[in-house]
Amino acid sequence: MIGKKKWYIKLLIIIALCLGAIYAAFPILWMLLSSFKPNAEIFAWPPTWISENFSLKAYTAIFKNPEQVRFFINSYCIAVIVVVLTLVIGILASYSFSRFNFPGKSFINTLIVSVQAVPPITLLIPYLSLIVTLKLYNTYWALILTYLLFTLPYAILMTTGYFNTLPKDLDEAVMIDGGSRWRALWRVLVPTATPGLVSVGMYTFMQAWNEYLFALALTKTNDMRTVPVGINLLMGQHAYEWNQMMAMSVLGSLPVLILFLFFQRYFIAGMTAGAVKN
Amino acid sequence: MSAARTSIYGKERMKVMKTRSRRMDVLKKKSTPYLYLFPTIVLMLLLLVVPIIMVIGYSFFDNVIVNKEPAFVGLKNYISIVNDATFWVAVKNTLIFVGGSVVAHLILGMAFSMLLNTRYLGNKTKGIFRVLYVLPWMFTGSVIAILWKMMLNPNGIMNFLLEVLHISSNHIEWLGSRQTALFAVTFINIWSGYPFYMISILAGLQGISTDLYEASALDGANSVQQFIRITIPQLKPILISLIMLDFVWTIQQFALIWMTTGGGPINATETLSTYIYKQGFSKYQYSMASASACIVLVVCTIIAIFYVRHQKARD
Amino acid sequence: MKWKTVLKKGISVLVAGSMVLALAACGGGSSSDDDSSDSGTGSGGEESITLEFQQWWGVELPDGFLAEICQGFTDETGIKIELLSNPYADTKTQVAAGAAAGTMADVVGLDGAWVYDFAKQGSIANLTELMTADGYDDSQLSDQIQYEGNTYMIPVVNFAYPMYVNMDILEAAGVEELPTTWSEFIDAAKKVADSDENVAAWAIPLSTESPSGIQNNFMSWLWASGGSMLKDGQPNLTDNGDLEATVDFVKELFDEGLVASGAYAMKEADMVEEFTNGRVAFMTDSLAHLLTIKEGAPDMDFQFMSLPVKDGYAGQSGMDVANWGIGIAENCEHKEEAMKFVEYLMSPEVNAKLAIAANAFPGNSNADPDYADADPLFLDAYAIYQECYAVNEFTGLPTSEELMRSFDEQLQLYLDGDTASTKEMLSATQTIWEEAFK
Repeated sequence: MIGKKKWYIKLLIIIALCLGAIYAAFPILWMLLSSFKPNAEIFAWPPTWISENFSLKAYTAIFKNPEQVRFFINSYCIAVIVVVLTLVIGILASYSFSRFNFPGKSFINTLIVSVQAVPPITLLIPYLSLIVTLKLYNTYWALILTYLLFTLPYAILMTTGYFNTLPKDLDEAVMIDGGSRWRALWRVLVPTATPGLVSVGMYTFMQAWNEYLFALALTKTNDMRTVPVGINLLMGQHAYEWNQMMAMSVLGSLPVLILFLFFQRYFIAGMTAGAVKN
Repeated sequence: MSAARTSIYGKERMKVMKTRSRRMDVLKKKSTPYLYLFPTIVLMLLLLVVPIIMVIGYSFFDNVIVNKEPAFVGLKNYISIVNDATFWVAVKNTLIFVGGSVVAHLILGMAFSMLLNTRYLGNKTKGIFRVLYVLPWMFTGSVIAILWKMMLNPNGIMNFLLEVLHISSNHIEWLGSRQTALFAVTFINIWSGYPFYMISILAGLQGISTDLYEASALDGANSVQQFIRITIPQLKPILISLIMLDFVWTIQQFALIWMTTGGGPINATETLSTYIYKQGFSKYQYSMASASACIVLVVCTIIAIFYVRHQKARD
Repeated sequence: MKWKTVLKKGISVLVAGSMVLALAACGGGSSSDDDSSDSGTGSGGEESITLEFQQWWGVELPDGFLAEICQGFTDETGIKIELLSNPYADTKTQVAAGAAAGTMADVVGLDGAWVYDFAKQGSIANLTELMTADGYDDSQLSDQIQYEGNTYMIPVVNFAYPMYVNMDILEAAGVEELPTTWSEFIDAAKKVADSDENVAAWAIPLSTESPSGIQNNFMSWLWASGGSMLKDGQPNLTDNGDLEATVDFVKELFDEGLVASGAYAMKEADMVEEFTNGRVAFMTDSLAHLLTIKEGAPDMDFQFMSLPVKDGYAGQSGMDVANWGIGIAENCEHKEEAMKFVEYLMSPEVNAKLAIAANAFPGNSNADPDYADADPLFLDAYAIYQECYAVNEFTGLPTSEELMRSFDEQLQLYLDGDTASTKEMLSATQTIWEEAFK
């Protein structure tokens, strides 16, 4: 009887998973297939699946072009630095919010959350002027600092949430043993909150990788530009290079995908199973 | 010096030093949180607060940037915006867009993460599905916009599939008709945004101790009860953060809408973000754009205040 | 446990390594920036000056072509040109932001629709003054875009918008002769629609994101029949018989189901895709797409024709043109050198080369491009062009894009049946337009 029920549920789950997977992955599959087609065939009716004119032309065009390769390098470097900085600064700030009560806490908290509310497009001009005044225009640091501003509020918010789910006993345990708060933070809280931190890190990477508006506005020369800008450069006034755009998007998502594959072990259950017990 | 005097003097000194060191301890204790917050505050203050104040400033002047000598006009810009019918259409559309997206994101994210966390399948299977589910997240806004524009083209793959599955045989103009455009755009946004919820909730699920579930199973609770009584309360802090962030972010969603419909047809998908963009970069009314942005800022600040109050109450 | 620690250490090494790599690359990036900014501001007469040229033309021209042209200028004058490419859709935002923040490139590619606003803001330089200072003979320029009597933008090359015709579709539909009037057009269109339900007779991109469809696909009907939407430079949309007739004409096309579906979300590039895939019979579009369409549909038999005119019209037709314009930033520190570069691009030989490469017509009326190697179809179009007069009434108007957008929205309302009559629609649009002209 129990066996039957389990089988029944398992099947339902698998069906649900498959339907969901189609929902999630079909457009991506379509993108992948389109990147192998010649430009004109993309809108053929009835649509073709695997193109008769299957070609890797879009991909080779990208690899052969040093400018486009540079886009990838830039995106990668900037994203990595942003992730590291965001996590470090974010963890510090979240610790503060999670474990302390101090005057101005609500105010700063509210400030951090609400500054995200300003539509970036309106910030564009004053912000651009500010960056120019700081002599950071057209450098990596302009983008790194900018992305930090976007990713920190999220990182702080989420990490505070994750820290809040960890009982204060953990800290106390370390401090009773004579450790400092710093030690409590880095030796106990951070490792325990790792799944949360990994998800924050992943999202930060993606935000930095995928951002377009400021990447375009704060850079001028192609050697400073990132992948999203590179993709949009393929949209001319008169024609779109659809297949190259799709190819570049596929290539652009690979690093993130690989990162995810690499880090997803952290989502597997069991990291905190034992830690909570006193 | 006699021993007695030294000892009195010494004791006084010790008292002073103890008080001083206690004061320093207290100072250190009180300043610790601020120290941890220091880098954040410096960054935000310098790079974010300054431009925001500039934007707020712009909104009170007339025709900034375009006009070399803008005149102070007080609330005039705000009044014109509130009197603009298109503004209210944008507000309405934004509410539908944001509301629909946030709710659907929550449901889908929850559903998928529960599915991906199930005990019934092996880790490898779950791993494969996890990767598939996370795919929409990997792509940049403009690419998603173009991809879906391609797919929702009246002669595109979506209509083709609908025809093949005998659901509909018209070449539906998803993005080109006033009835369906907002729905289509919201649909795309839901698709591109649910992984954020899914991953965050999944991470949160890992943090819920299995002891809780075991204990409740012993007490006779079934899965539904476990879900309502354990999972949701445990996830609550995370869920609330997610909802609030998503709300704020979705209000600003620009690239997706701009590149698929440009706010059209007519006003069907005009949201606050496209409205602001058009004012700034098409009509060159930066002051009006700044004023609209401030309105959005005020609304989101109010929500943020509620959120923070709620967090405080929890503590 | 061991595995975990190994993994953790591995990750930290990876991260540390990436940071080092990144900082190294970072350093490389910012130092190269220092170099360019040094030479950009020009520390003396001896050091070579570098001009920044911001444009979106690179994608449309053969690879490396623009760089070659710029190299030619450097060879002649020793002034270097740094090419900055931008996506077309964002160029306007970029130029606007750049003007506001003072980061605009020295020489900028401009679309005619933006000139008025940038000139008014003082972001672009007065070219008339620069030309006079240089003693440049501006009579050879086929057109100059002006604001308050001074030139602010010079069209480098012009793209004509003739009508493309898919002959295969016409043959299958039994249309024997190319229509020359509106009523003939409607007849031909109906035949096309009847013969194949997957094919549309005509297409118009009405996406409000880039409402150029109003300029290129709607107003072209008006201008081809000698009509005008302005009077003395002011909007003249009401009491304009020609314009009313045009609106009625287009409405009829829509009502009879002769227009390609998805018009309200369609952009120019989408329309070209439809034509390339053989789903549209008649399309008013830029000559620049000739090669794209040829490559995409090598087996398609298509030709050019001049736009059908309003029944009874016998005068000369106006052909819609769009252009690649060029201007100089007001905050440019080397305006004279920049002007020299502009003159170089406008010189007959260089201008001719550009025109051929872009499949366009030269902005210098003395340039004589040798189109002999060009596609015969291109020559056909050129012949048609020469019988018409070039026209684009949107160039140089205040907030042109916004004007197009509001016309687009009103048109959509009318086509959907929200507005009761053509007169009402035009009157509503006139009110909106007049606001912009104040």
